[in-house]
Amino acid sequence: MEAPQYVAARVQQALAEDGRTHELGIRVDIRGDQLFLRGQVSGAEQRERLGQVAHEVAPELHVHNEINVVEATAPGEDEHLD
Amino acid sequence: MTDLRIAAVGDIHLGEDVRGQYRKKLEGIEDRADVFMLAGDLTRHGTLEEGRVVADELRGLPIPVIAVLGNHDYHSDLQYEIASELRDAGVIVLDDDGVVVQCGDKKLGVVGGKGFGGGYAGKCASEFGEREIKNFVSHTRYIAEAWKVALKEIVADHRVVLSHYSPIKETLEGEPPEIYPFLGSYLLAEAVDTAGADLILHGHAHKGSEKGMTPGGIRVRNVALPVLGRAYCVYCLNCADDLQTHP
Repeated sequence: MEAPQYVAARVQQALAEDGRTHELGIRVDIRGDQLFLRGQVSGAEQRERLGQVAHEVAPELHVHNEINVVEATAPGEDEHLD
Repeated sequence: MTDLRIAAVGDIHLGEDVRGQYRKKLEGIEDRADVFMLAGDLTRHGTLEEGRVVADELRGLPIPVIAVLGNHDYHSDLQYEIASELRDAGVIVLDDDGVVVQCGDKKLGVVGGKGFGGGYAGKCASEFGEREIKNFVSHTRYIAEAWKVALKEIVADHRVVLSHYSPIKETLEGEPPEIYPFLGSYLLAEAVDTAGADLILHGHAHKGSEKGMTPGGIRVRNVALPVLGRAYCVYCLNCADDLQTHP
């Protein structure tokens, strides 16, 4: 059986290089037959695509998509640099 | 006391599926800021379609808009075409050069470009060994030199550097230290410290921290959208000293 570290690295590489996602900085952890995705993206569709690509690269693992969608809120307090 | 108000954000990563959404967040920006700066990674894959979405979101804003591109915007080898789309929409796109914009009675000089990696003093790549490594480091060195020259040439009341990659590691805190060499280079900070500036803005490090400072004491802000959690942040450069000099 392939070491889980290599599988995780392959999934992470796919998330960065697959034309549907191109998402860097997603953390991939594997425990037994469970795969966990964590990180932040700008939209719900991107989160779903990342889950899909991870599933395609490691179809034998159960994917837990724990990625958060960051909603940009209105600007807050100004910072004064003096 | 007159402040020069700079709205800034990076890493907005727009695409067709979110068309129109970011623009809504920019409503009223002219009441909050004098200029809007974007620190790269405006698209996801650097396609022309995404570049056009960004151009449409920024088109016709009532304040000057200044942008640099990021590594994502280079992915499809269409960086020049994307920059051209943005320029057609009225955005000033910096590519290792500078511009002066009039903000009220103040001249604001902005110098910048994408920047590049290499790492930070004591733990960085050097121009030694294989051609690939030498190319990597010399690319950053070339950029840093261009910024230094542009900063020295610019005549303005205030000078701001706009980058995608980070000039310091303080604003990377939260990112794994192993990838710091891919997130920026101290050569960028060294160049700006040598030439002088009031503020450096960068993006790229989504998991980094907002606030830091160069070894020379220039304030650095990581304005990547995931770091800010907001559509943009506003930084006010205090012009009180100038007022005292010229009452």
